[in-house]
Amino acid sequence: MIKAGRSAAVLAALAAAALSLTACGGDDDGGGSGGKELKLWHYESPDSAMGKAWNEAIKEFEATHPGVKVKFEEKGFEQIQKTAPMVLNSKDAPDIMEYNKGNATAGLLSKQGLLTDLTSEVTKRGWDKLISPNVQVTAKYDAKGTMGGDKWFGVPNYAEYLQVYYNKDLFKKYDVEIPTTFDELTAAMDKFVAKGVTPLTNAGAEYMAHQFVYQLALDKADQNWVSAYQRYTGKVDFHDAAWTYGASTFADWVKKGYIAKNSVSLKAEDAGVAFMSGKFPMMFSGSWWFGRVAAEAKFDWETAVWPGAKMTLGSGGNLWVVPKGSENKQLAYDFIDITMKKKVQNILGNAGGIPVAADPSAITEPKAEKLIEDFDGLAQSGGLAYYPDWPVAGFYDVWVSQTQKLMNGESPSKVLGNVQKEYEEGLPK
Amino acid sequence: MTAQGRGRSREQWGYLLYLLPGLLLFTAVIGVPFLMNIGTSFTEWTGVGTPSWIGLGNYRELVKDEQFWASFGHNALIILGMAVIPTMIGLVLAAALTDLIGRHFGPRTASVLRACVYLPQVLPIVIAGVVWSWLLAPEDGAVNALLGKLGLGSLAHDWLGDPATALWSVIGVMVWIQIGFPLVIFMSGLQRVDPSLYEAAEIDGATWGRRFWHITVPQIRPEIFVVLLWTTIAALKAFAQIFVLTKGGPGGATNVPSYYSWVNFFEKSDVGYGSAIATVLTLVIIALTVVFLRMQGRDLEEAPR
Amino acid sequence: MTATLTEKAGAPPRTGRGKARRRRRGPSAYAVLVALTAFAGVMLIPFVVVLFNALKTPQEYSTEGPLSPPDGFNLDAVRAFWERTDFGNVLLNSVLISGSVAVLAVLLSVLNAYALGIGRIKGRMWVLVLLLMANTVPQEALVYPLYYLSKQVGLYDTKLSVIIVFTVIQSAFGTYLLSSVLSAFPRPLLEAARIDGAGRRQILWRVVVPVVRPTLSVLLVFFFVWTWNEFLIPMTFLISNENQTVSVALGVLQGQRLMDATMSSAASLLGLLPTVVFFLIFQRTLARGLTAGAIK
Repeated sequence: MIKAGRSAAVLAALAAAALSLTACGGDDDGGGSGGKELKLWHYESPDSAMGKAWNEAIKEFEATHPGVKVKFEEKGFEQIQKTAPMVLNSKDAPDIMEYNKGNATAGLLSKQGLLTDLTSEVTKRGWDKLISPNVQVTAKYDAKGTMGGDKWFGVPNYAEYLQVYYNKDLFKKYDVEIPTTFDELTAAMDKFVAKGVTPLTNAGAEYMAHQFVYQLALDKADQNWVSAYQRYTGKVDFHDAAWTYGASTFADWVKKGYIAKNSVSLKAEDAGVAFMSGKFPMMFSGSWWFGRVAAEAKFDWETAVWPGAKMTLGSGGNLWVVPKGSENKQLAYDFIDITMKKKVQNILGNAGGIPVAADPSAITEPKAEKLIEDFDGLAQSGGLAYYPDWPVAGFYDVWVSQTQKLMNGESPSKVLGNVQKEYEEGLPK
Repeated sequence: MTAQGRGRSREQWGYLLYLLPGLLLFTAVIGVPFLMNIGTSFTEWTGVGTPSWIGLGNYRELVKDEQFWASFGHNALIILGMAVIPTMIGLVLAAALTDLIGRHFGPRTASVLRACVYLPQVLPIVIAGVVWSWLLAPEDGAVNALLGKLGLGSLAHDWLGDPATALWSVIGVMVWIQIGFPLVIFMSGLQRVDPSLYEAAEIDGATWGRRFWHITVPQIRPEIFVVLLWTTIAALKAFAQIFVLTKGGPGGATNVPSYYSWVNFFEKSDVGYGSAIATVLTLVIIALTVVFLRMQGRDLEEAPR
Repeated sequence: MTATLTEKAGAPPRTGRGKARRRRRGPSAYAVLVALTAFAGVMLIPFVVVLFNALKTPQEYSTEGPLSPPDGFNLDAVRAFWERTDFGNVLLNSVLISGSVAVLAVLLSVLNAYALGIGRIKGRMWVLVLLLMANTVPQEALVYPLYYLSKQVGLYDTKLSVIIVFTVIQSAFGTYLLSSVLSAFPRPLLEAARIDGAGRRQILWRVVVPVVRPTLSVLLVFFFVWTWNEFLIPMTFLISNENQTVSVALGVLQGQRLMDATMSSAASLLGLLPTVVFFLIFQRTLARGLTAGAIK
């Protein structure tokens, strides 16, 4: 009996201690930042190109702003994606943060009035001169939150696009030439298939599969088509020639064995690892793989734009945004300015990223140089066509699931019909 | 009779005091938020700013949403994977570990085995999803490799990619995650069964099966109810396991209702529609809970004391 | 029946009897042992895979795939992750939150179940249905309302908010299990205590709680483990890195388009250890378990 009483008391004491401890933990959040601290959040890993460059920018900032400390916190991508509207609507918002570009993300936040309009700062500091118009699109939004508008709500520091990664060792081994035109591409893939090798790595459960469909459609499309699809400037018909060609060619490729049918459930990570372990001669994916392939692949490789493409998937990178509730806006602008300077941009470029304003002669690594050169070519000709899942919120899941159906044998016309329905339902009202 | 009744009701007021902290906290953390959720289900809202009232608009849309209702069908199978099968396996395992292993090889052996079975409950679900997609991978996954080694290469399969097997594969993984929970509860329930009952039955020549059916099951009936209701609720709300394995794919073959509310809340920022789905789901689960508790009440009343 | 009850409450000295019985192991008992061991082994395979990848270098993982065994011990990933997320602090947060929730939720469950199971108040089934709603309402539906409420009372981005929320959510299971157990509590025991002049409070702490203590430790373990692995609500309410929990910190490794498989494996093993330790510590109490029926 006495024992029972004692354990109850211990329990109560434990509870009380826990409560008082956490109460203390909660209290000291209120104070702090009084103009002497720049609260900065981003979600790039420290060994990525952006992570390395921005780390340098933080050092530079602290050197040029004596007395100001940068309070950097690395966040999970998921956490920022799911909670940004809530955080930015509270007093716990950072002074500056990285955020995803696009209508459903930065566009939505700008519409909700949670981001600072940076337009005057952009012109004052001349950032608009540094960034090419094609890359600017994702930084500017209109009153409805649609990209390509007139007001700057973020500043992109880097860019990204899709390219083909070639495993040169496998090409040599099977005596196949690296293709430069679309016809050469299909001919090369025929050769690989004839020798029992699946030429393209693919991930049906994630972005890779529907990016093939979009790229193939882009091969038959023009910039008006892209603008109508991405920025609602015209009617979008998923049964037009371009989409029909994209979907049916992709389905055909699966049938021909260019793309493995059993990649339906694979994730991008699996597909990338399969390529890096030397199982596939080609991977069609983004520049975000570049640093990793450079560090981890044991074979000789190179990259190039999709053979024969005038337009390909790509855009400006994630944005620096300044939350409405930022307490140190001037400092935040100063920080952005430092990240736009040649020094930081060059680090980004040499580490395998695509800088928006680097000094071309300072990029010394040959593969990185080619990567950036290819990108600049595309950006200057307006060849960046963004990503297929952007126009409508929640569209990513639609594309993944419909492309999986396509791979499992559903007819292209039915799949495109489903996509059309979701697209129309999801259009901003 | 009346005096007694009045005494009993005064008695009840005394006990009500103990319910007070629970009810107050419940009101603040669940009650009010749930009412707010019902409120936002009548609006169109992105989560920030002023919601605009649209009456029953979201519900009207929901009634027409074919995919939503179709995905309820998958839920029936998921209840199988998260509730029924784990409960049955857990029951047999608990009985075997207690009745056979515990008595013949000592309780330590039994608890080591139990710990192994419980371990999947502890693994973060994201990691569990990644590991299982490696194991079930079509080209070089361990499951297919094992089938090949056993000479059953023809059974190798794109487990998560073929709509015909995707849901069953997910259910298999769910069983793996889930059995630890019923096992631990049932084994602790079995501790109160007098070992002499089993001994007597064994001496009488009762087979293991008969002992299981006539001693084990009746003795832990309350636990069976608790576990079944709890895992069924979890199955109706299931989402994380599916999300990390298949994201509802291939082509919607493993979609579930709670996935819709998630997507609407956090992917589409359509908080109004998400709230409507969550409200409907909650009401369905509450109805089920009431039916279940009624059954449990009746069954336990009837059970011989 | 009181006799059984006291025997259970104090650890029964069963070793002697156990030994006597062990002599009669038949071949079928061995067959069952082998089968169950094999089964337990199969259950552990995924953990072996996690361990393999935790010990690999990213290069090994990328070139040889996830299922090959590691070439050697490589603990760089663990070290890098520890520093990157200030993991010591993160662990402490998780222990603090899960520990507080476990204790408080057990306490709340006992109080609730006392009124429902022993007090048998009128309409108890409906009260139970109501309290169970803490579990039936999908968590995503609670996020926005709780966000606005916690901002109102100044608890947004505090560990306390998460503790309070999960105390209520977890106590639903405790309330249900305990009130099922307590509704079968032997009335004579209560009567005897009452005749001795014990009030309601004394009866709760001196008669009821000691008898169901093993059940309480089962609840303690469950609540701890469940809270440890919660993701959505901690992610939305613990915004500052200094407040982060293990499951939220793991999210840092899941990038926008890339994930760090080796570091994720290492980190998840690291985050798993405390719960396993906690479980093993309570193994012994678990073995004594839920004593509902000892009372029948």
